[in-house]
Amino acid sequence: MSFTQQKEDKEIEEALVRDLQAGNLDAYDKIAELYQKKIYALSFNLMRNQMDAQDVTQEVLLTLFRKINTFQSKSAFSSWVYRITLNASYMKLRSKKKEPNVSIDELLPSFNGAGFQQEKIQDWSENTESLLFTNETHEVINKAVGLLPEKEKVVFLLRDVEGLSTEKVSGILDLTIPAVKSRLHRARLFLRKKLSGYFEEYNSKKGET
Amino acid sequence: MICCKECIDLLYDYIEGSLEQETSKSLEEHFEECPPCIAFLNTYKSTTTICRDTLNQIEIPDEVRRTLQSFLKEHKNQEEKK
Ligand SMILES: [Zn+2]
Repeated sequence: MSFTQQKEDKEIEEALVRDLQAGNLDAYDKIAELYQKKIYALSFNLMRNQMDAQDVTQEVLLTLFRKINTFQSKSAFSSWVYRITLNASYMKLRSKKKEPNVSIDELLPSFNGAGFQQEKIQDWSENTESLLFTNETHEVINKAVGLLPEKEKVVFLLRDVEGLSTEKVSGILDLTIPAVKSRLHRARLFLRKKLSGYFEEYNSKKGET
Repeated sequence: MICCKECIDLLYDYIEGSLEQETSKSLEEHFEECPPCIAFLNTYKSTTTICRDTLNQIEIPDEVRRTLQSFLKEHKNQEEKK
């Protein structure tokens, strides 16, 4: 995003917050228009359930309107929106049955005593194009992200999927910058490993025919 | 020469471009002699791209959009009555 674009977004946000705080009801629609997709997508990616994501989106919009006077403008409005969305999603997740946690460490790369790679690494990066738009691939990717432990998943969704800066993510999650980086790195390693199985199998099948 | 483990630990900062020139150089020397780590680098980068492209395709389904719209309208009406 360019600097002027960022500046414009910031001004739009600030004006909206002022309108909301002044009780201007038209600002409701604008806030909903601007943020409901982000709220829905983030909560959907965290919970993978349409009804739950809809509930959370409603709840978050309502919280934005009701709590607007507690919003401190020293942080960005969008960071506040993300934080409320995360809290609401976690509340929802906690009320449901928990799936067993996967250990991320088992999927991290393994090395021999000299620090060299032990497994065979195939480069499937050039061969994803034809697979990328199939439903099967979507499912594999969604499932892999779904398996990420919560700590790593949220960093991955905000930083790599939403495209927020490391600084912004560290502010939203109240984590240090090195902690954000290390969680993101672990998430990428985990996902790379998960996706490797799928793409390697596809490549070897393709080789046979 | 650095080993594969060090190489993979440095990937994040390498992609961000935040490594010291010297470290970056020794990493590239490692790549020259280690095809598995090149494959690792490429697939590590691809992972982010394909996950982002896939997860960003999420749109609000029409029925959810309609529900949200009527929810907002109702809420606004309540507020107006106050
Ligand atoms: Zn290597």
